[in-house]
Amino acid sequence: MEMKFVPSICSYCGTGCGVLFEVLDGELVGTLPMKTHPVNHGKLCIKGWNLHEHINSPLRLKNPLLKTFGRFTKVDWDKAMDVTADRLKAVIAAHGPDSVGVLVSAKMTNEENYLAQKFARAAIGTNNVDHCARL
Amino acid sequence: MTNSYDDLETAGCIFVVGSNTTACHPLIATRIYRAKERGARVIVADPRQTQIGNLADLSVHHRLGSDVALLNGMMHWIIENDWHDKDYIAARTEGFEALAATVAAYSPQRVQDITGVPADDIKKMAELYATCGSAALLYAMGITQHTTGVDNVKSCCNIALLCGNVGVAGGGVNPLRGQNNVQGACDMGGLPNVFTGYQPVSDPAVVEKFSKAWGRPLSDKPGMTITDMISAMLDGRLKALYVIGENPKLSDPDWNHLQHALNRLDLLIVQELFLSETAQIADVVLPAASVAEKEGTFTNSERRCSRIQKAIEPVGNALADWQIICKLSTAMGYPMDYPGGPEQIFDEMAALTPKSYAGMSYQRMGLNGLQWPCPDANHPGTPILHTQQCTRGLGKFHAIEYQDPAEMPDEEYPYFLTTGRMFAHFHTGTMTRISSHLDHEQRSGYVTIHPDDAARLEIAEGDLVAITSRRGQMEAPAQISAEVPPGNLFLPIHFGEYPANMLTSAEAFDPLAKIPEFKVSAVRIAKAQAA
Amino acid sequence: MSAMTPIQEQVHQWLEEERVDIFLAYRIVEGHPLPYAFTREHIEETGELVTGPARYSLEKFATHIASRYPDARIGMVARDCNQRALNVLRVWNQLKEGQVETVSVNCCPSDLRAHADCSYLERRPVGVVKQQLGQVPNQAVADVDAQPSAERFDRWMYEFQKCIKCYGCRNICPVCFCNECSLEHAELIGTGHLPPDIPIFHLVRAVHMAGRCIDCGLCEDACPAEIPLRLLYRKVNAIVKDLFEYETGSGDTLPPFSILGPKPTMSPTPLLAVAQE
Repeated sequence: MEMKFVPSICSYCGTGCGVLFEVLDGELVGTLPMKTHPVNHGKLCIKGWNLHEHINSPLRLKNPLLKTFGRFTKVDWDKAMDVTADRLKAVIAAHGPDSVGVLVSAKMTNEENYLAQKFARAAIGTNNVDHCARL
Repeated sequence: MTNSYDDLETAGCIFVVGSNTTACHPLIATRIYRAKERGARVIVADPRQTQIGNLADLSVHHRLGSDVALLNGMMHWIIENDWHDKDYIAARTEGFEALAATVAAYSPQRVQDITGVPADDIKKMAELYATCGSAALLYAMGITQHTTGVDNVKSCCNIALLCGNVGVAGGGVNPLRGQNNVQGACDMGGLPNVFTGYQPVSDPAVVEKFSKAWGRPLSDKPGMTITDMISAMLDGRLKALYVIGENPKLSDPDWNHLQHALNRLDLLIVQELFLSETAQIADVVLPAASVAEKEGTFTNSERRCSRIQKAIEPVGNALADWQIICKLSTAMGYPMDYPGGPEQIFDEMAALTPKSYAGMSYQRMGLNGLQWPCPDANHPGTPILHTQQCTRGLGKFHAIEYQDPAEMPDEEYPYFLTTGRMFAHFHTGTMTRISSHLDHEQRSGYVTIHPDDAARLEIAEGDLVAITSRRGQMEAPAQISAEVPPGNLFLPIHFGEYPANMLTSAEAFDPLAKIPEFKVSAVRIAKAQAA
Repeated sequence: MSAMTPIQEQVHQWLEEERVDIFLAYRIVEGHPLPYAFTREHIEETGELVTGPARYSLEKFATHIASRYPDARIGMVARDCNQRALNVLRVWNQLKEGQVETVSVNCCPSDLRAHADCSYLERRPVGVVKQQLGQVPNQAVADVDAQPSAERFDRWMYEFQKCIKCYGCRNICPVCFCNECSLEHAELIGTGHLPPDIPIFHLVRAVHMAGRCIDCGLCEDACPAEIPLRLLYRKVNAIVKDLFEYETGSGDTLPPFSILGPKPTMSPTPLLAVAQE
């Protein structure tokens, strides 16, 4: 048996409360407030207390999906990446890099947002980068 | 936020406008409760009756979209009574005369006529804000999601500057961010016109720096916002869209309009935890790891950048967003490889972001995080902004005239409709509606209607109400409550089966910030079906 | 091995001798005391074991382990309140007799022990507004009972109106373990609004705390509205003690009344119904 308590930050609103994920044998069994965290001082709201529930949902996506003739098919990462890159390259070749838009996310980490805008700007070549700050 | 959560507890007065704080930012409400129990005075202005309003010293319900008038009215009364901070204004600001001239026309009586708030309450709000020591102003989307969003924010800054509340402990202008990393996404250059740390793409020196660092010539032409992208999809200029961790099909204004736009794309790539409404119509869906399944950092409303740590392995074949982006970029012929993981990415970013993040590292952050600006490795971080001077030097007053929202009720569409959140759900509900404890609190969408309106239209609790705007029509079950004023309806945004954005407008947005006017639409209603 | 404290040595020995399979205590991580599970596989980590100063419901974690590993032998550091909680959990069959071995830690500075109170962290000073109303922290039930009833009523109604319905009081409670909770019984308590139904939400919980609450104060610490919950539950426990001479957290008997019927009456929370549509 292995039990651990992993410090993290709640991913709902922008308050940024400190949480501990309770993990038993590699499975997320609960979320609790970090008692000494400077933001929330050991308290959470109803969403924070239930943060693990969406993570454990059976509805989580587990494989890349490609739509062919209106239906999704499970594929592996190599196939997903090849097809996506080919189709993106085709769009860029036909219409230029500014015909591509990237919506980054207020739910991703800073590192991921940094990479996503780097991807848009350097790999695709467009400043068409935005996210849902307004929504 | 210019100030910090801890600092809120030291305020002499807290003025909450356009924020249903106990429902949407509950742990900020804790700080307001503490401040109040310590003796601070609390003012709440919200068109709806909210929990935080009920606990305030003074709670007013201004008409939807009348924020500028309300704030101008308060400033009028503050200047009339000589409560403004003249030393601060002289030393730290400019443009006071123009502001004073503009607000002179906003007498309490005139503001009462515009906002519906009794003149005496406007005077009392002004007095509490200006005369109880340092005053902290808090706002959320109730201020920003308007055609006059920028005007509303500037008006909040005006009143804070007027009373010397910017750059002082217990004061400040404090927007509460709705998403866990909306601050970080902006800081990281997730915007069409700036790189990390708000370095403009139109500045040749900046473009050169990033081109060099990234080994590719970069464009200096600002890109499109989401709002622009939607029009570009419709007229065929935008052909492919890569959506990461968002659900625009539910979150963006005017559902029908957006549906047409997304259908015109040649390629829609969606990277998500779930098969969201947007993912369902995608060509490619990429499974992403959740917050518990990866490393990285988030930056919260008080600019605190803190680490998240990996607690469990990703489900199935899901990968962290950063790993997916690396794979896709490499497949596109621009290899990205970070064997050092998120920490290596953070260090690369920090090195390119001199003013705000340069002094941060995973090691320095610990579990408490660091608040930007943190320009060098010895800098302790910054709990309060602008203590010496504003970013531009002098704080600038903006003389702003009140304007009506894009849509006001008329004979054809006589009701105001506003949208927002409820306490147990989050945004488009993709994360909360599958959570059993949260689902228990609210299983279904609803529209809140005042008892007087319900009685007149013979609508009972739970009856289906047909709501029609100039964009579309939808039906939702009635929730009868005096929390909304007569003539007003409230629709929560979490429920895909009752999409509020069938009704909102994609054409009504702030000209500068491009934020849609989710908070005000004109609609007509009728009873559709008894419960 | 560098000098270990007596507690660290004892835990090391217990793990080495296989007296326990896992030992729950704390470890300082980047300046924060966090709960930590020590095991034989990483026995060297016992040198980092600390007993505070923060306090989590280690016994609740123990029940999570026990529900997956019914024969697990669990060790933990225990203050007085943890001991009382362990007793309740054993009486209610959440932990088996002898399943948890404790190392006692002395938690209370002596001047506070007179109040049978615990002060594991600096308590946040209460605001002047509350002080003026005589609402000081850790009030004795008798002192509150002496106040006029209208005053008490107003006070509690004010406190309850702040509630943001996080359910943190229940979630953090070491002796709350029901699969079905009355607080989520839609016929008892309405859903979807803030504050929750007043005062029913809090009184339903208070009733369930009678003969159950071990006065650890974790609920009050976890309350975002800082409602004096501990005082409320002390009151209901005082009633149980007066009427039935039942002392919660000691002895081997169930409380004089069992609120849980023989059969659960509520169906499990339906999940995914909407999402699967």
